[in-house]
Amino acid sequence: MAYIEFRGICKSYDGINQVLKNIDLDIEKGELVTLLGPSGCGKSTLLRSLAGLEDINSGQIILDGEDITHTPVQKRGIGMVFQQYSLFQNMNVEDNIAFGLKIAKMDKAQIEQKVKAAIEMVDLAGKEKSYPSQLSGGQQQRVAIARAIVMEPKVLLLDEPLSAIDAKLRRELQEKIKKVQKELKITTIFVTHDQDEAMIMSDRIHLMNQGIIEQSGQPVQLYTHPVSKFSAEFIGHYNILTPEQLTNFFPEKRFPGNFYAIRPETFLLSSEPIQDPEFMTFEAEVMDFISRGNVLRYTLKCKNVTFTSEVLFRSFALFDVGSVVHVGIEEHNLLMLND
Amino acid sequence: MKIKTHFGDALILFLVAAFLVVPLVLTFFYSVFTEWMDILPTGFTLNFYVEIFSDGAFINSLLRSIIISIIPVVICTISILLVLYVITLYVPRLEKYVEILCNIPYAIQGVILAAGVISLYSGKPGFLSNRIFLLVGSYCIIVLPYIFRGLKNTIGALNVRCVIEAAQVLGCSKLHAFFTIVIPQMKRGIISTMMLAFTMLFADFVVVNMIAGSAFRTAGIYLYQTMSKSGQISSAIIVILFITTLIISTLTLMIQNKAVKSTKRREA
Amino acid sequence: MTKTKKNTKLYLLALVPFFVITFLFEILPLINVVIESFTKTGGGGFTFEHFIKIFSTRLYQQSIFNSIWISVVSALAGILIAFLGAKAANAASAKVRNIFTSVLNITSNFAGVPLAFAFMILLGNVGILTLIGKNYGISFLADFDLYTINGLLLTYVYFQIPLATLLMLPIFSGLKKEWREAVGLLGGNSFHYWFKVAIPSLLPSILGTFSVLFANSLAAYGTAYALLSNNIALLPIRISQQYIGEVVQNQEFGCALSLVMMSLMVISILITNKFQKRTGGAS
Repeated sequence: MAYIEFRGICKSYDGINQVLKNIDLDIEKGELVTLLGPSGCGKSTLLRSLAGLEDINSGQIILDGEDITHTPVQKRGIGMVFQQYSLFQNMNVEDNIAFGLKIAKMDKAQIEQKVKAAIEMVDLAGKEKSYPSQLSGGQQQRVAIARAIVMEPKVLLLDEPLSAIDAKLRRELQEKIKKVQKELKITTIFVTHDQDEAMIMSDRIHLMNQGIIEQSGQPVQLYTHPVSKFSAEFIGHYNILTPEQLTNFFPEKRFPGNFYAIRPETFLLSSEPIQDPEFMTFEAEVMDFISRGNVLRYTLKCKNVTFTSEVLFRSFALFDVGSVVHVGIEEHNLLMLND
Repeated sequence: MKIKTHFGDALILFLVAAFLVVPLVLTFFYSVFTEWMDILPTGFTLNFYVEIFSDGAFINSLLRSIIISIIPVVICTISILLVLYVITLYVPRLEKYVEILCNIPYAIQGVILAAGVISLYSGKPGFLSNRIFLLVGSYCIIVLPYIFRGLKNTIGALNVRCVIEAAQVLGCSKLHAFFTIVIPQMKRGIISTMMLAFTMLFADFVVVNMIAGSAFRTAGIYLYQTMSKSGQISSAIIVILFITTLIISTLTLMIQNKAVKSTKRREA
Repeated sequence: MTKTKKNTKLYLLALVPFFVITFLFEILPLINVVIESFTKTGGGGFTFEHFIKIFSTRLYQQSIFNSIWISVVSALAGILIAFLGAKAANAASAKVRNIFTSVLNITSNFAGVPLAFAFMILLGNVGILTLIGKNYGISFLADFDLYTINGLLLTYVYFQIPLATLLMLPIFSGLKKEWREAVGLLGGNSFHYWFKVAIPSLLPSILGTFSVLFANSLAAYGTAYALLSNNIALLPIRISQQYIGEVVQNQEFGCALSLVMMSLMVISILITNKFQKRTGGAS
């Protein structure tokens, strides 16, 4: 039995549109899993239903062997960090972190000691007496994390906690969260719409789309083996091509199925004909290219089929717009999708 | 060209300000001189102030005014806070109806409200026709729109839902969280709203005159009755009432400005 | 499931004070005013007699007319002065503007009975300006009669100015400097700017201000009562007279008058809303 089990979770706000469609999901103890998906896919609702902040229409939620479907929020033993800064503005850092412990009527000395440890864990020593309005967004979220973990919850929920924080600090906080999670071995569910963030953070990703779990797996697995059009597009900017389009490239071959995904970086581009027998080759015209830092992204066209290819930015890899290049691809990089 | 328009602006501002300030200043002068038969008054004295402050009746009326202005403001503020608690956390669609109820008083200001209340309750048995009870109730309605708007804006600037949810996850009940986290954050807004409402009731004459009249002599009624007796004492009373109002409204403005600043800082 | 229902009932308790207050002192009196206005004096049967009396008696016709007249004129005067004042304040330095705003904030508290009294000592029968007028032969001061509707109008204009200007100031700061420059670049002059750009864009807010001022003076009572007691044909005075006057009191008739006055309030609010929507939609 898994540590957290979602069984047949259904949720609708208006009785017509299903936000969660019969979700089944297992999460193992000590894992850091991510619910990834575009906004409106139901990932936050699923998280909030585990916290008890959202009622579900049907289904069952089991935490640590106990059915908590109807347990009130207060009694679920869950820690949560929200997207918006949810600190209590009328309390300083220390009081914010001690809040839950005081509600639980823990004795003073013990509270003091736990709060101190939590503050150190999130590197906020020296800020104990500051008020939230005196802290930066990143610092506020650190306090929110400390406030959650000080309760020693069974599971820590992070609902897009970094989406309001600028890119540089974000990277730092991602590392911090990961470190704290590994140190405490706390089961953690992280919700985000940012696939890069999901890749960096997670032991396991559950990709959600329109109320269902589209694909689950380890980050690398998801990245290299998308099973559906949605996964392929959302995770890796894959080129999605139909068998007919592929036949345009390779007229002598036949392709079964409906869709194929090709990662942009698996194309080999060359000004000379490609000799390596591992590669299937064709010619394409360069329509456009943009530089994204260390990567060049080409838009190429072959017989009315447009696709993108990414190569590392090296001088020999420069092709002019309008020029014709030789394109090669290994057959195992043509991934047939389930759609 | 530029200087000329500037002069025109200054002239307009000066004239408007003068028209507004002159009656006020004259009332003050009138209260500190014994005679005023030509351009300049004569016989400076503070006797009129001494006289009213040694007159227990005036002090009592002032106290009555203060008490009868505070009680409805407190009742109304608490009622609306409770309503906002339900609206924000349980039934958001209730807000529409509450808003309508809180806007009706604009259409039944002053004399209409008083007429409606007396018509309904005068001669009714028991506490229903108690003048003080009617006055408190009517006063609640007078300040209702202003208190509702003030408190709604205050609570709207906070991120109540999220904060309450955070507290719930930490084991705290909604009600407890509302009173220990949300209300303390609203402190400034609540106080300034209450003070604004207070100054409105403190200045009331029409409702108290119609509902209670001489049965409950507030400072306003006392002033009205003194006017026919002594001009100088009346003007001294006006000065005292005006300064009281001024102190409270200045404090209100200061609190509001501070509140605005702290919200801005929070957003930044 | 049953648990949730129990909670539902509990939090509804928090609504009780609010609904008790509004029910007892807003809804019930309001309904009662409507019912009583169609009730015969002293109780019993349905009747139109109060409204027939209101619209056929000279005193009450005059009261309605005077109330509307003084409200419209004082609101217009208030807006005109506030317009000039806010325009000037907007162009002035921050220091001057702050002083001016302080004067407005201070004097906006000066209304009702105290205001009437201040004008009595200023322009009453033995008022300071009246005496100066008499002593120095300035006839318009010496002959000014405060105890008429025109005298009353002056006091109403007084209390409209601070309110109107405080409402107009933020509206003025919303005018963009670029608009004026754009008009200039297109070859327009100051006249074009004000009448084609600035005033039309200010219009919805000005109408909103007008509605506030209209209601403000329609409901005003203390100033008129202190100045003229019951000797003026004005709606609020006539209403209060039905309850506290020396003449025979007639509560049902008072309700009918209140209903008329309430209708005026509502009409002014509705008209403004309509105008604001239309103008707002066009711009």
